[in-house]
Amino acid sequence: MSQATLTRREALGAAGCGFGQLALTGLLNGSDGVASPAPSNPLAPRQPHLTPRAKRIIFLFMQGGPSHVDSFDYKPQLEKRDGETLPFDDARVIAKTGKRGSQQLLKKPLWNFRQYGESGRWVSDLFPETARHADKLCLLHSMHTEGVAHGPATLFLHCGSTNFVRPSMGAWINYGLGSENDNLPGFVSICPSPGNGGARNYGNAFLPPVYQGTTMGSAGGPAADAQIRNLVNSRLPRKQQQQQFELLRSLNAGQLPPNTRDTELEAVINSFELAWRMQNHAPDVLDLSRETAATLALYGINQDQTNDFGRQCLMARRLCEAGVRYIQVTYGDGSPNPAWDQHSNLPKHAEHARRVDKPIAGLLEDLQQRGLLEDTIVWWGAEFGRTPYAQDRGTGRDHNPNGFTVWLAGGGLKPGFAYGATDEFGHVAVEKKMHMHDLHATLLHLLGIDHERLTYRYSGRDFRLTDVHGEVAHELFA
Amino acid sequence: MDISKTRRQICSFVAIVLLACPVSAADGPALSARDTTFFEKKIRPILVAHCYSCHSAQAARVKKLRGGLRLDNRAGVRKGGDSGVVIVPGKPKESLLLQALNYDSLEMPPKGKLPAAVIADFRKWIARGALDPRRGQAATTSNVDIQAGRKHWAYQPLTLPPVPRSSKTLASSPIDAFLLKQLHTEQLRQVAVADRGLLVRRLYFDLLGLPPTADQIETFVDDDSPDAYVRLVDRLLSSPHFGERWARHWLDVVRFAESITLRGFLFPEAWRYRDYVIDTFNADHPFDRFVQEQVSGDLLPVTSLRQRQRNLIATTFLALGNNNLEDQDKDKLRMDVVDEQLETISRGFLAQTVGCARCHDHKFDPIPTRDYYALAGILRNTKSLNHANVSKWIELPLPTDPAQAAQIKKYDTTVATLTARIKTLKGARKSKALSPLPLTKLAGVVIDDRQARTTGSWMKSQHTKSYVGVGYQHDMGKQKGGKTARFQARLPRDGEYEVRFAYTPGGNRSPAVPITVISADGNKTMTINQKRIPPLDGRFVSLGRHRFLRNGSPEVVVSNAGTTGVVIIDAVQFLPVELIKPRRNTGKSTSSKPSKKQEQLRKLERQLKALQQTAPDRPRYMSVEEEKKIEDTRVHVRGDVHNLGTLAPRGFLKVITLSYRPQFSTRQSGRRELGEWLVHHENPLTARVLANRLWHWLFGAGLVRTTDNFGTTGELPSHPELLDYLAARLLEQNWSVKSLLREMVLSRTYQLSSRSDSLGLSHDPDNRLFWRMNRRRLDAESLLDAMLSVSGQLQTHLGGALIRPGTANDYNYRHDSNRRGLYWPVLRNSLPELFEVFDFANPSMVTGRRNNSSTTPQALFLMNNPWVLQQADHAAVRLLGFSQLDDRQRIQLAVQTTLGRSATPGELESMLVFVGSPNDDKETRHQKWAQVVQVLFASIDFRYLR
Repeated sequence: MSQATLTRREALGAAGCGFGQLALTGLLNGSDGVASPAPSNPLAPRQPHLTPRAKRIIFLFMQGGPSHVDSFDYKPQLEKRDGETLPFDDARVIAKTGKRGSQQLLKKPLWNFRQYGESGRWVSDLFPETARHADKLCLLHSMHTEGVAHGPATLFLHCGSTNFVRPSMGAWINYGLGSENDNLPGFVSICPSPGNGGARNYGNAFLPPVYQGTTMGSAGGPAADAQIRNLVNSRLPRKQQQQQFELLRSLNAGQLPPNTRDTELEAVINSFELAWRMQNHAPDVLDLSRETAATLALYGINQDQTNDFGRQCLMARRLCEAGVRYIQVTYGDGSPNPAWDQHSNLPKHAEHARRVDKPIAGLLEDLQQRGLLEDTIVWWGAEFGRTPYAQDRGTGRDHNPNGFTVWLAGGGLKPGFAYGATDEFGHVAVEKKMHMHDLHATLLHLLGIDHERLTYRYSGRDFRLTDVHGEVAHELFA
Repeated sequence: MDISKTRRQICSFVAIVLLACPVSAADGPALSARDTTFFEKKIRPILVAHCYSCHSAQAARVKKLRGGLRLDNRAGVRKGGDSGVVIVPGKPKESLLLQALNYDSLEMPPKGKLPAAVIADFRKWIARGALDPRRGQAATTSNVDIQAGRKHWAYQPLTLPPVPRSSKTLASSPIDAFLLKQLHTEQLRQVAVADRGLLVRRLYFDLLGLPPTADQIETFVDDDSPDAYVRLVDRLLSSPHFGERWARHWLDVVRFAESITLRGFLFPEAWRYRDYVIDTFNADHPFDRFVQEQVSGDLLPVTSLRQRQRNLIATTFLALGNNNLEDQDKDKLRMDVVDEQLETISRGFLAQTVGCARCHDHKFDPIPTRDYYALAGILRNTKSLNHANVSKWIELPLPTDPAQAAQIKKYDTTVATLTARIKTLKGARKSKALSPLPLTKLAGVVIDDRQARTTGSWMKSQHTKSYVGVGYQHDMGKQKGGKTARFQARLPRDGEYEVRFAYTPGGNRSPAVPITVISADGNKTMTINQKRIPPLDGRFVSLGRHRFLRNGSPEVVVSNAGTTGVVIIDAVQFLPVELIKPRRNTGKSTSSKPSKKQEQLRKLERQLKALQQTAPDRPRYMSVEEEKKIEDTRVHVRGDVHNLGTLAPRGFLKVITLSYRPQFSTRQSGRRELGEWLVHHENPLTARVLANRLWHWLFGAGLVRTTDNFGTTGELPSHPELLDYLAARLLEQNWSVKSLLREMVLSRTYQLSSRSDSLGLSHDPDNRLFWRMNRRRLDAESLLDAMLSVSGQLQTHLGGALIRPGTANDYNYRHDSNRRGLYWPVLRNSLPELFEVFDFANPSMVTGRRNNSSTTPQALFLMNNPWVLQQADHAAVRLLGFSQLDDRQRIQLAVQTTLGRSATPGELESMLVFVGSPNDDKETRHQKWAQVVQVLFASIDFRYLR
């Protein structure tokens, strides 16, 4: 095991320390934690395995699975042969019956595709705003994954396993790299969905709890109400709480054993110190009213359809600026058939696109203007894509884990680049296939983590995010 | 794509090869120059470029060998991999390699299909005999050496070691003697015994999970009699709260939960199991029986109804897994459930990581894959789910006593009679038995089922006579998701129509058939319940009014996707709204006076409603059933359900030596035998594991600190003889948990202070030798119970269901209760926030020891959470209510109640200053006192047991 990864002993020992020592050091120095952290702090920044190309990730999760053939994967053949019935290896039919080659009705994209930018990337009219940033995108057209239903596939997307309880990617990154900010958690999930794996999708599983995601709000709820839990005291004005906090400080100091260092109890005390600082700083980080009207407009905030997702994206940018490593922004809901899940009524995609398109474009632009895009990865994607044929010959498309598109932008990635391909209709990834494990491995690599060396021993063996799989797609790197 | 690919490839770096007889590297037939050239030009370069990275000696060296297959030498190619032989010389069609290249069953190389010309070369090569000029060895076969594995300490037979004779009198019990012996060897000594105030708090939390009241502390502290401590222990052990505390420990081990992650389905009956466990610990029911009941309660003989009920509820243990009910590959799901149960049984009872052997022989422990499937075969004979699109766990009616059964029967009869009378009255007008209705009698445009365009096979029928047209069709209840029927209409003109759908109802029908109406306004999908009699003339149900354009291809689509039961299609009617006859309104009769019949009807309905409110309890329980077909299973190559290897007859772990040969019936799953083996006196694991768990829960660290892993990757016991002594005591005392716990808490070591001492700290900082008592943190439930107890809100009655009635799923569940923490619903998507924040056991995994973290969310919770503020409020009201006390006394009372001790002078002073003047206004006083209590909740001495 490399020096960069925690040994098991270190991790277990560290598990008792929360944000830990930092706070105490800060306290002793009379400053806000500028001193270098004690090694026992599990969230202290750690040296990555490799030279990182990026420092953080914003994952825009399009829950339910937007149709790639209607958005970013242009398939002229699909348009041309609309209405033909052909045999396909449908994932659901195979899983249920083992039968290949079921007869399916090809359905052309409902939106026109156009080429954008100097790179000439194809984007459909579903995402006109994002399309303006086509030259920033690194499109992965050859994605494939595990799980035909939302639950398993969503868990696979986040945790690399369809069924077993495993740490989520953000928790692994938090464990591997630590936090850049002493006043904030290292992994934040904004408006996560309670469904399709719920808390497991930002959970630590067997990693120490300090690495789990901190949530703000819940999918479907108004983003304006999304907050870190218990951050604000509803009763007491700051000054009164300050007095109370002093009393707690003095009591706890008196309850420490005299004359010996007691790291465990010091960690408890430190957890309060950090909580107190977080309570005083985090609300500022999350306070969107400090943004200019122009920025708010850029994200579509205070505009009817884009207000919620716009706020989520802007919060992500603010957290990213404050040094949070991994931020997930969910567009979804808690239902078993989440937002983008158009088994019928594919035109409904337009409604979802309208809600997210402008905020996404705003985020890309804003990040670039602030120079953050250089070391921030924006990842747009879902648990799977959709079939190029109509479901049951109806008006929608079924799930498609065999071929779909995600895009990345920013930190260390080739801009305006397209990688891999699906077949002529967009059904199955055929060229430079990129499995979800490969995407995980590649994203970790960009952050400077060797996915084969980021391990944790549990129940008698070493575990990884990528199990025994995953290949880094070096071709994507700028 | 093959869903089970992951499974198959998991841990593929372990090269196990299941094929027999290693292929020799002896020379094959001499190759012609032409064949050699063909191989070197067409085959070898492809293998090198596209296959070697995963299928070569080099790949094996860097642990990247996949599928146990090597293609970098002739022997490897001929031998094949985990999926069997990959090449049948001369028979390209039968060669897996070619299928894989063609992306038929497998897809190789995974990065993309090779060009057709290349594949054609391979076909040709195989057809000519797959002639291969290369040399070299095939991968070697590995075998688990069980004989050698038995030397590991945990598998050694259990013996009762002699108790060391102590030289000094310090040792008050054999437990102390074992510990002191080792301390003596290390030249360490134990610290002094804890003071009585700390001891009584420790004992209350450890045995009951509740804090002692100020009075209870005082009574004990003031009791000088020599047996005061023993009496306290015995009193606490007989308290009903003892069972609550120790049941919760066990619930951690069995990953107890009351809902499932995916879709948030509730387990409404799981609480019965929780109560059964409480009862088991309270009654000190022998633990060996407890184990057997959980694994095989449904198969055990009984002597009473009560016992039968208990045994059945015990099997809920098997049904609590957090399974992926929507997995579409049901064969895989079936084995995933088995795997989950096996993992729980093996880690929970045996502290063995048997799950590691699902795909390959255990890498570290003497557990071959065959052992895994021998055990899995037993559980595979057990049905845990009824499979459907979303599979469902099994709930069964709990047997009731004759009186209760009679009551239920009487109730059912009365309800049936009433319902029949109501139906008669209601249906008097339209009670004519329905006969087939010709299409010509219907207005508008009618499309019969025979005119519908269907996919999948539908069965024609005329069995139920209420059909329209020439008959109806049903889906036979099969191939769900594979059948649709499209009723396409040619309408005479644009306009608004009511769409009506005809079906013949019945008890076996689907309760939710999805039907989509495609109109000018888009698609509208609804579901209809075909169990119900169609409301329109007993034939049709209305699908609502829709606007249609004549050339807009109006259509109604019926699908059997996601349905259970039989789906019926009979006819669809497009009825122009202007033709709809006004319906006779039964509710508001034209005459103002209700008819006699209606009066009678209402009376009956009222009676029925009243009766239904007194409905007798019909207890159900979660469980499993025996499969109809009892069989041994086969080894699943690489864990893949679609790749079966040799037969693995049912059995247990071979590393445990038994003097008997287990026999399995062809009529029972084998769970009964499994239960017997788990607690058999020749199986040393279960007793050792339990003794160690009990020690861990009392002392804060096990003798083996990896409580769930006694394998070679776990830690060694710090005191192997003491562990065996404890395990042997269990057997000696008929597996009595209470007796063993009693012996532990009566030991002098348990009563030690947790204060550190420089000698111990420098030589054994982790306290593995127990030179002091471990200081321990209150766990989530103790914290919750203690706060409710201080606030005076705690309700202490036992058992029962707590999930709020009417809760549809567990998303965003609002926890709100003053019951003890262990009754708060354990919802996998909505744990109580306090549980989530304070290291509650992950309810999806076997948890013998919880995390022990100090995190910022914990601090924020104690500082700002409204529930905490609320409890502090209640406590403040109580404290201020003692009008006879002054603030000094009040502070002493608050500290006594929360911390179990008196306030130090420093604490007293700072709190006195904080609360301010007794003459402050009422609101300020309340606010200040609530804040003081909250500070005490957040202080170290409240959260820790010293």
